[in-house]
Amino acid sequence: MSSFKNSNLAQAWLVLVLATVFGTALAGIQSKLSPVIEANKVRETMEKIPGLVPGNADSDNLVVTSRVIDIKKNGTQKFYTVYDVALKDGSPAGHVAKAAGQGYADKIEVLIGLDAGGDTITGLFVLDQKETPGLGNKIIEKPWRDQFVNKASAGQLVVVKGGAGGGYEIDAISGATISSRSVAGIVNTTIADIKPRLVLPGKKENNKTEETQ
Amino acid sequence: MIYFIDIMLIALSAALINNFVLYYFVGICPFVGVSRKVEMALGMGFAVTFVISIAAFLSWSITTMVLIPGAPVSSFIAGFFLPAEAAANIDLTILCYIVYIFSIASSVQFVEMYVRKFFPILYRSFGVFLPLITTNCAILFACLTIMSHVVGVDNPEDAWDLGRAIALAFFGGIGFTIAIVIMSGIREELELCDVPEPFRDAAITLVIGGILAIAFMGFTGVDSGIRKAVMPKPEIQAADSQLNADAFVYVDMKGQEGRVRIP
Amino acid sequence: MADLPTATERFIQGILPENPVYRQMLGLCPTLAVTNGMKPALTMACSVAFVLLCANIVISLIRNLLKPHLRIVVFTLTIATFVTIADRFLAAYLFQMSKTLGPYIPLIIVNCLIICRCEVCASKQSVFTASADAMGQALGFGLALSSIAAVREILGTGMFFGIRVLPEAWPDWVIMVLPPGAFLTLGLLLGLVNWLGMIKARRAGNDA
Repeated sequence: MSSFKNSNLAQAWLVLVLATVFGTALAGIQSKLSPVIEANKVRETMEKIPGLVPGNADSDNLVVTSRVIDIKKNGTQKFYTVYDVALKDGSPAGHVAKAAGQGYADKIEVLIGLDAGGDTITGLFVLDQKETPGLGNKIIEKPWRDQFVNKASAGQLVVVKGGAGGGYEIDAISGATISSRSVAGIVNTTIADIKPRLVLPGKKENNKTEETQ
Repeated sequence: MIYFIDIMLIALSAALINNFVLYYFVGICPFVGVSRKVEMALGMGFAVTFVISIAAFLSWSITTMVLIPGAPVSSFIAGFFLPAEAAANIDLTILCYIVYIFSIASSVQFVEMYVRKFFPILYRSFGVFLPLITTNCAILFACLTIMSHVVGVDNPEDAWDLGRAIALAFFGGIGFTIAIVIMSGIREELELCDVPEPFRDAAITLVIGGILAIAFMGFTGVDSGIRKAVMPKPEIQAADSQLNADAFVYVDMKGQEGRVRIP
Repeated sequence: MADLPTATERFIQGILPENPVYRQMLGLCPTLAVTNGMKPALTMACSVAFVLLCANIVISLIRNLLKPHLRIVVFTLTIATFVTIADRFLAAYLFQMSKTLGPYIPLIIVNCLIICRCEVCASKQSVFTASADAMGQALGFGLALSSIAAVREILGTGMFFGIRVLPEAWPDWVIMVLPPGAFLTLGLLLGLVNWLGMIKARRAGNDA
């Protein structure tokens, strides 16, 4: 019996002491750092928003509120986070929607800027992508993304090769047709899904989740 | 049906397209170290697959039941000490890595006991390599991938359930086995070749691994293509130029593309 | 029992003669994964240095209390704790880099290099020697990562640390920043290091 105590429990005391010490240290780290990390995640999206709505890009003048729109289609529910941007005096400046979809290699996450009425696309920013470096990677470049600015949202965007005309055409990146088509498809699907619910009638009720209708 | 397709795509992606060894660089140490004989490589591959599945089951269960904010077990226990509001939000995700590595160590212990009892010859041929599976990056990597799909997802709908977690882990192990068996077959042939002395053993294995990785790059995009073909069509189609009636894209005899506008 | 190496010997051994990547072939997973640019490579090297140093110091402080059966558990617990701390600090203060490095920071836990150093040096020698060993090995690791990252970044993007060093007309060897490039670069550099070692050994043999 005493040998049992010597072998197992006695030997484990060091592990238990260490576990307690480390656990306390980690709890301290958690309480100090997790607000900072959360703030980082939110700031990553928020600092892109002023550049995506039309007009002045001065973030001090803008009030941004977020809400979640949920859509039921094909038997599944899809959630879109939408940021409503208003000027300090309350007049709406635009909306920014966060959307994601399947690209060539993996998921592509984008922020789509729309004007106050939801009629024109005012900006596009690629948050996250894992496309081929040097080819599909070029969807993050500003000149390509600027093609989306000032396109009307009433119809669907179409990707063509060899130079786009006006209207709804987007010029594909040479060697990365599928990545280009994926981004345009994500924009099309998102706008079609959220456009009916984008403009709130009258005043906004609350900032958080909106119930399904 | 959609669930089944999703599982198949996760499996395909983990085994071939985003192969753990050749795309994510995890499990390189056994890949370079153990891949001399095909039987050895096959045994190692199966052992890793076995361990990875058990470890994935353990880590998914502990993450969803104990670690994430609002998990049933931690809220229940914390409910004795804290008011209900704080108990429901208790967040133990900081302990994730420690929990994972210990669940991997336990899985390896369990598999070691099992193999020693039922396959004693295999156990002897493994030698020291079986406990060394604990430090195989592939297993921890599978647990971390599962964690990234469970902890901190924006929509609760998107969080992975047990089926997807085990599919990723099991087929990741299968992918590891495929890579290591191919490499061992090549190395068996390589023993008859005259490799320059600086390159013997490790260096030539890595160079061949690079060529294998180029080969496996050919699988990129297969899962997105299958997903688009098989999943129910969304109401808005992807932006194909054929859809726009205003422009007609043709390919002429020389393979050049051109556009004609139909008024 | 043979004499264990002194602190200075441990430090110098770790840089080139017992280089963790080129000689001991430990920690290959992060070596291949994060070396597609100089910045991720150096961040990873610093994180490994931090974890190695802290783990070595802690293990060395408690080395007389370690029981043979449970020492691996103690090593693992210590390393996992410090890796968690390093990961959280990176996520808080270097958020973009933390996203680039992704799951490879937690994979430091199963990096054979750290457990090996704890086993070979920290559990047997004083705090000062263990720290010197950690610094030497970390320096060697950083050198190895930088060499591979330099090759991959310059050939793959024409840039070094984000500054363009090759002319614009250079066709980027995109394969270098993709997975196959990692394997090929490490394999060829390893061959080169082995060859240099062979020449040195032959010259020493000729002189003797």
